[in-house]
Amino acid sequence: MSRGLYAYAITRDLPLDLAGPWLVGHRGLALVVAEVDLDRFTGLDLDEPSEDSPLAVLARYHDAVVRSVFRHEPVLPLRFGTVLEGADAAVRLLDARHEEVSAWLDRVRGRQEWGVKVRAAQREAVRLDGLSGTAYLAQRRQRLADADAVRRAAAVLHEKLGERADESVSRDVTRDALLETAYLVDAGTEFPAEADRLAAELGLAVEITGPWPPYSFTKVELADA
Amino acid sequence: MTGWFFVDNRSGSLADTLERVLDKGVVIVGDIAVCVVDIELLTLRVRLFVASAQTAREMGMDWWTNDPFFTPKAVDRTAEANELAQQNAVLRDRVAELERVVEERR
Repeated sequence: MSRGLYAYAITRDLPLDLAGPWLVGHRGLALVVAEVDLDRFTGLDLDEPSEDSPLAVLARYHDAVVRSVFRHEPVLPLRFGTVLEGADAAVRLLDARHEEVSAWLDRVRGRQEWGVKVRAAQREAVRLDGLSGTAYLAQRRQRLADADAVRRAAAVLHEKLGERADESVSRDVTRDALLETAYLVDAGTEFPAEADRLAAELGLAVEITGPWPPYSFTKVELADA
Repeated sequence: MTGWFFVDNRSGSLADTLERVLDKGVVIVGDIAVCVVDIELLTLRVRLFVASAQTAREMGMDWWTNDPFFTPKAVDRTAEANELAQQNAVLRDRVAELERVVEERR
């Protein structure tokens, strides 16, 4: 059984009780780490994406540790599966990237991520019995017009939510999702309630998730040199 | 507009969590990190997973799995039916047009 130092997140070097993981601090910054059995991380796959699959359990735990830091301090979540050579390596990284990491922590301090998704309408089967050609074409035109109206409403929703957020990251619009965006907002704001209200006004059904640690706003690569 | 449903899923589904944990966040590169997970493969898989209808099914929106319109076997017949419906519509319109012309010439 091989052991390794798993790293969950980067935060300020302040006392935190994390029930397991601990901090490796250096010059005011810290990596949240824990010793893990590396065998648990080999051969992971997503074939059975159920809650009790090994990957889901590990991913949920990773998220739980990040969240427990996030509740008290600004946090930069690390990508799942980050294992360091040891505590020395953690210190080397924090030393080499001190300025950059500090700036990133300042950027996310007091902020949280909210996910907003608008799904495309389910397509119902066309009932052809007794439908005249003209009626069919009229129905088809109506469907296209409806779909277009929903797409425009989703764009308006995004614009209005963008005004209420500091930053946003969108996934490309797909056939299934008309809007799939993460917004970085101040923790004190009523963002989810506002999103609900705006969506209702626009006649859109939204799925809102959050508050998340700022996962979608910390896409950065760090090296020790 | 009909056919809308509302899901307020603030705790975050498994797909949402997997997507963030596996595909987002700070990446540590270089000699200090040890590669234990084939993260590229997992990331690819999670993207497919998130993009697929499984996300919806996991949330209980599996209405189509019992709907003959959407089951795989029915797909071909559905496409065929749609094509026939369109042909039908076009033909009906042409017949109507011809009838109108005939009517006018009387």
